[in-house]
Amino acid sequence: MTAPPRGGGPVGPSPLRFGRRARLAAVLAVLGPGIVSGFADNDAGGITTYSLTGARFGYELLWVLLVTQFALFITQEIGARMGLATGQGLAGLIRERFGVRWAAFAAVTMLAANLGTTVSEFAGIAAGLSLFGVPVPIGAAIAAVAVITLMSLGSFSRVQYVFVGIGVIVSVAYVVSAVLAKPDWALAAKGLVPSGAFSGAYMLAVVGTVGTTITPWGQGFIQAYVVDKRLRPEELPAERIDVLIGSLIANIVGAFIMVACAATLWATGHFVIADAGQAARALGPIGGDIAVGIFAIGILAASLLGLGVVPLSSAYTACDTFGWERGVGWRWREAPAFYGLLAFFIGFAALFMLIPGLPLIQVMFSAQVINGLLLPVILVFVMLLAGDKRLMGKLVSGRINLALGWTVTALLVVMSLVLVVTAFSG
Amino acid sequence: MIHLSQVIGRPVRDQNGESIGKVADLIVAVGERYPPVTGLVIATDRRKIFLPWSSVATLDIGGARLNTSQLDITKFRQRQNEILLKDNLLDKQIVDIDGRRVVRVNDVSLDEVEGSLRLVAVDVGAAGLLRRLGIEGPYRTLARGLRRPAGERYIDWEDVDPLESTIEAVKLRVPHAGLAELHPADLATIIDQLTPRDRAGLLASLDDEAVADVIEEMEPESQVDVLEELKPDRAADILEEMSPDDAADLVADLSDTARAEILSLMDKTEAEEVRELLGYPEETAGGIMTTEFIAVPATLTAAQTIDRLRELEPDAETIYYVYVVDDEGRLVGVLSLRDLIVAKPDSPIGEVMIDEPVAVGVLDHQREVANLVARYNLLAVPVVDDEGKLEGIVTVDDTLDSLLPVGWKSHLPKRFPGSAR
Repeated sequence: MTAPPRGGGPVGPSPLRFGRRARLAAVLAVLGPGIVSGFADNDAGGITTYSLTGARFGYELLWVLLVTQFALFITQEIGARMGLATGQGLAGLIRERFGVRWAAFAAVTMLAANLGTTVSEFAGIAAGLSLFGVPVPIGAAIAAVAVITLMSLGSFSRVQYVFVGIGVIVSVAYVVSAVLAKPDWALAAKGLVPSGAFSGAYMLAVVGTVGTTITPWGQGFIQAYVVDKRLRPEELPAERIDVLIGSLIANIVGAFIMVACAATLWATGHFVIADAGQAARALGPIGGDIAVGIFAIGILAASLLGLGVVPLSSAYTACDTFGWERGVGWRWREAPAFYGLLAFFIGFAALFMLIPGLPLIQVMFSAQVINGLLLPVILVFVMLLAGDKRLMGKLVSGRINLALGWTVTALLVVMSLVLVVTAFSG
Repeated sequence: MIHLSQVIGRPVRDQNGESIGKVADLIVAVGERYPPVTGLVIATDRRKIFLPWSSVATLDIGGARLNTSQLDITKFRQRQNEILLKDNLLDKQIVDIDGRRVVRVNDVSLDEVEGSLRLVAVDVGAAGLLRRLGIEGPYRTLARGLRRPAGERYIDWEDVDPLESTIEAVKLRVPHAGLAELHPADLATIIDQLTPRDRAGLLASLDDEAVADVIEEMEPESQVDVLEELKPDRAADILEEMSPDDAADLVADLSDTARAEILSLMDKTEAEEVRELLGYPEETAGGIMTTEFIAVPATLTAAQTIDRLRELEPDAETIYYVYVVDDEGRLVGVLSLRDLIVAKPDSPIGEVMIDEPVAVGVLDHQREVANLVARYNLLAVPVVDDEGKLEGIVTVDDTLDSLLPVGWKSHLPKRFPGSAR
């Protein structure tokens, strides 16, 4: 059964696009998927996880971000390339290649991770608002109203840049704060090399950090974004730059959050962060009295950016898997499953916040660990598809790329197994 | 009737009841209304083998029974008109022509028609999905309590348009005959949901005029995307089929080099009209007018004018008014189609036309044009230059666009939150 390769420049190079390909302009036109994805990685769960890790382990876990920088670039580049080659979303490809059962399995995995992330974003908003004295249930209600408003505005594509903008400001705040806190740079450099005892808490922090940086939804997101932006196979070089910038933003900012927390909290013996107020103290060196305000606004913007993406992405994934109408371009009655899932995600997360005495920081961190544990499942599908010549055509992963991708996947599998084993062995 | 999912993986036994493998796939020959099954792919311990349908005695949910014990182990080669039901059709996207939607194939239905087993329908319903997932039974138990049976939905094969990515595997040119019959607006919605490859295949099968109609129904950003995916000479042919004002709007959104290239490939006069329209600012009468209109001298009789209309076969949006011009092309009068038909055949139209018709200048703002059209209940308004020469007309549909708030149409992202362009 030899079939001609699918994908990979199916329409042929289109000379009409050439006008757009004046170097820098070409890169600028393509920018977006990788960068937005990179900023969304530093969502409420991201900020929380990096903070917790920095406070608890100081500079010791900085090496993880070196690894995730490499791994994030590899996985996001593959996701973007699959979008360029096939013009299809991840869920649809899994369905076509592996059949409905595997596709359902992948979708359930993705949805479970995303549900955790959605809860985490709600917790982020509740935590941010709690700094202004807003009680959690009211914070949850505000979050629900905000996300529904965002979606019904329908112009998330524009609103997202506001959140990205706030993200930039908060990122800069962390970088400056980290520098002003006069961290022990020698110790930080040492942290770039793995060391330390493989305790349960250590592994949990490793998995959480990886899980907040490389995410199942991020994998689906970049591919869908590339498809939706109708980028073309010949735009791959520019898209790679976009992905590289995005992954650098995610990891460098993550590293500075960790350093800021290490220099302020860990260095002064505050190893445990129990609430948002304590996490905000990492911004003390720059913010002084208004550190809490900066932190609150940052975590609110980060959560909203995540909420604008994750529930929609989830509903999109499920509907793509089962072949139902999807997208906010449809009316309610035309796409009941799509809107039903959206409602479920938002409703579930909002109700979850009503659990009395919910430890918001722990909820956010746990969601990242769940993401980290489920990630390898999605990556296995991604890697199998990336090596499929029939699907990817000219853009198929080469030997080196496949080896790197599978190495990342294998590392993550081992990491998850170690965590599970250490958890069970107490 | 049997479903493909019920036979895949079932045992295959030879004449003597010996098990030789499992059903891996079924092959059908497309072309007929209901494609007959022509072969069976068997997964044996070591590899996949192919058997022609004549060697199969029975096939049901218990498996396949052969009428031979001789296995020809030639390697299977997919022929031009054959598709593998599991490999090429199951779980893929198809267009439901009747329902005008893009859907995924959950299962495939086979039935005995005219003495042979044929592909009769694809299952796109929830029931098929549950069957594939192997949870049909549990759901039925659950559903009895809820009184909500899983929805069954089949699409007759006749109403199925398999897409390029399915059929490409066998290098068959998909005729897309059924899709070509759809209203361009429906087709535009469908095309928007397809992958670039499927979109290219579908557009390749339609003639230039049909593609032009479809593109005119799309949102502005999609229009440019679709145009850019086409080869420049095809794009030029399609633009020639569009009314010059629509073509100009589209071309205006291309990059400078692309615009120059595509205009150079177009027919000279058409390209000239488009270039001329591109010269007017977007928000003026000139920017929204079309240069396709009917102008006749005042000396013609009503009957001659109607004959002229028959010759010209004008588009629907330009036929409502006949403009009367003098030797220099200056607008002197107008006749509605009604005026023309009720006039005595031999009366000169100079006598029945309305003198000094309402007209706008090429640089008038489009809002004024809209006001005029609304005030006088016009279907189209003529556009004249400084010397009173008739340059084009603005039809009522184009004035409507100017009344909608800016960006209203492009407000909704189509599929995904991030669709920033």
